[in-house]
Amino acid sequence: MLKTTYFLVLALLLNTQSANAFCGFYVAKADTKLFNEKSEVILTRDGFETVLTMSNDFKGDVKDFAMVIPVPTVLSRNNIKVVDRYIFDRLNGYSGPRLVEYYDEHPCHRYDYRMMEKMSIPSMEVMEGTSGSMEFDDYQVTIEASYTVGEYDILLLSAEESLGLKRWLTDNGYQIPEKAEAILEPYLKSDMKFFVAKVNLEEYSQSDYQNLRPIQIRYNHPRFMLPIRLGMANARGSQDLIVYAMTPKGRVEATNYQTVDIPSNFNVPTFITDQFSSFYKDLFAKAYRRNGRNAVFVEYAWDLSSSNYTKCDPCATTPPAYSELIDAGVHWIDFQDVSGWGAADYDGNLFFTRLHVRYDELHFPSDLEFQVTPNKKSHQGRYVMQHMYEGKINCEGDADLHYYLDVKDRREEELDNLVYYAGWDKHKYRSYVSSIETHLDRVDPEKKRNTLVFQIKRFFRKIFMALTPLHYQYLGIVLFGIASLFFMRNVARNRQIVRVQ
Amino acid sequence: MNSNRLGLFMQDARHYQMTYLAIFLLTGILFLDWHNNLLDYAVLIITALCIQSAGMIAVNKYHGGWWKSALITSLGLCLLCKTGSLQTTLLAAILAIGSKFLIRFRGKHLFNPVNFGLVATGLITQDSWVSPGQWGSHLILLLVLGALGFIVLAKVQRWDAPLTFFIVFGGLMYANVVWFKGWEFGVFLHSITSGTLVLFAFYMITDPMTTPRHRLGRVLWISLMSIISFVLVTQFYFYSAPIWVLFFMSPLVPIIDKIWMSPEYEWVSEKNPIIQSI
Repeated sequence: MLKTTYFLVLALLLNTQSANAFCGFYVAKADTKLFNEKSEVILTRDGFETVLTMSNDFKGDVKDFAMVIPVPTVLSRNNIKVVDRYIFDRLNGYSGPRLVEYYDEHPCHRYDYRMMEKMSIPSMEVMEGTSGSMEFDDYQVTIEASYTVGEYDILLLSAEESLGLKRWLTDNGYQIPEKAEAILEPYLKSDMKFFVAKVNLEEYSQSDYQNLRPIQIRYNHPRFMLPIRLGMANARGSQDLIVYAMTPKGRVEATNYQTVDIPSNFNVPTFITDQFSSFYKDLFAKAYRRNGRNAVFVEYAWDLSSSNYTKCDPCATTPPAYSELIDAGVHWIDFQDVSGWGAADYDGNLFFTRLHVRYDELHFPSDLEFQVTPNKKSHQGRYVMQHMYEGKINCEGDADLHYYLDVKDRREEELDNLVYYAGWDKHKYRSYVSSIETHLDRVDPEKKRNTLVFQIKRFFRKIFMALTPLHYQYLGIVLFGIASLFFMRNVARNRQIVRVQ
Repeated sequence: MNSNRLGLFMQDARHYQMTYLAIFLLTGILFLDWHNNLLDYAVLIITALCIQSAGMIAVNKYHGGWWKSALITSLGLCLLCKTGSLQTTLLAAILAIGSKFLIRFRGKHLFNPVNFGLVATGLITQDSWVSPGQWGSHLILLLVLGALGFIVLAKVQRWDAPLTFFIVFGGLMYANVVWFKGWEFGVFLHSITSGTLVLFAFYMITDPMTTPRHRLGRVLWISLMSIISFVLVTQFYFYSAPIWVLFFMSPLVPIIDKIWMSPEYEWVSEKNPIIQSI
């Protein structure tokens, strides 16, 4: 069947929800209602060199904001940065699940080609910061370092035992969740430090920023993980975490949870356009339940190396550029001034993975541990709307009849996809399939389509269409293998070395 | 006739292994979304059989059950080896079976073929990896598969191997996670119930051909391996450590065999003739 000539890309921004959070936990200084429901992090890793950027969509009074996350080493001042929020929007826009639209061509002949893209060019701002230092020794808590970076006051704490740390935090005006103490303990035993940040009101009032900006930290340590357990201490129900991971080698996957590609690349009904957001939410929820509520989902995986000219297909926005990647913490690429179609303005290997985790206390007993694999297989949440050819069709032979029957089957399948992937009720949309009947009656008034001969013809036609090159590959390999086995057995027989039991 | 056939089937421990691994693989394909790799599985199995066949012609020994160990090896690779391309899959199968014919010491191959295939492919191409998280955490599933594993072991008489591994490695993990760090029991359970560890314990270190023959030697060898793996996992966050440690400790086996002597293992024992049922 002829297809794919004109497409329009709709990128989906799913992060327009209430309060976002870091993967650590908020500790409110006052009794403000705070809950973490969704957080985003950018994680880049080259060898042991790791850069972690944590987004912040804090909606309360900034003086109540505070956060605590465990880090593997004491960070020096130049390893802590405040970056602009736009990177998250850029990466989200680039890698989000997408709805793609294709239009059928005239089933008898004809083709044309057009393409349209939606682009967004975000603004960019430079970060700044100052530093200071303090020294305390009480509660068996050591302040290893203290900095003011951008609008944040940052402390790096190490402690002998969790009770002391908890007391220190409480006495310094941080409200610690009840359960947090038991969770702090294992991190201390693992020799991790605590990164504590709150807003420096003076700096904040001088800056023009409306919202708190993301904090970016950099460290060199074999441990590659995200401390999600800590964030569960003050969360209700499940939380969503999106990880934009970038490495020079390949995909990032979890080592202690199953990493699954999100169901993708199937047809959906054309009426989904304005319901796509809720469709994707339902699809994710269903995949999440189906995988035992403790899987890590790959929503996007793509090779962004400078040597790869296809940086996305179809593109929701332009792929990230050098300056944006540098802001996101990708430190191993070099700037390169190249012009030309598909060329990047950087030189180096880069693989982008977007992971989506929905976690809760019951199903995620331990922190997310990751590994970098050489896996360079692309994946994207891509859902296809295929529009029927709307004009009048009158081909010679059965081409038009077959076309409408194909469309009918396709629409039936699209509804089944809705049921299978998103759990929707397909009976609400019966008219979507039955509307084809009028076309069928028009091209086939004498009901030839119901005769046995036609049915048989159609059956074989469908089987032939369904065989893809992959099936032939299978068949070829299996046949070749069996043939060579027989050949070798014969060789062995001829040389009389077969020992039959 | 039929019962005789069944008796023949029950006699050979490799049949149990085959069934066990096939169940593992089918479970993965049906419940854990592995069906995308079907082509890799086909390539692995067919290549392994072809190489085995060619190897047997080369060494002039081509006997009835030649396909059994090759099939077991290829099923093991299907379960553990992830590759970025079909060529790498092909290489893994060639290296795994090839090592059985080429790297021999006193008439016995030195490396567990699956282990060799995994590590050598990883070292040569940098395009293969082990995915410890691929099993999800379907606890019941793993328990059932573990129990099935024990039936296989009863047949091979190597039940001491996984027991040692789980006692030493599991014990150290428990001490570290629960006693020392104070995590909940669930965290410990989560850290050791990975399909990769179950396969490693019930299948790789129980291979009669590439592990020490004498029980004492075996227990010591596995204990040492567990301790090194534990250090690598907890200190260096290297989660597929057991597989790599096994690779580097395989050359120790002949030495251990020399210290603690024991008769060689035979797949189909001639001392116990086939039990004829009435």
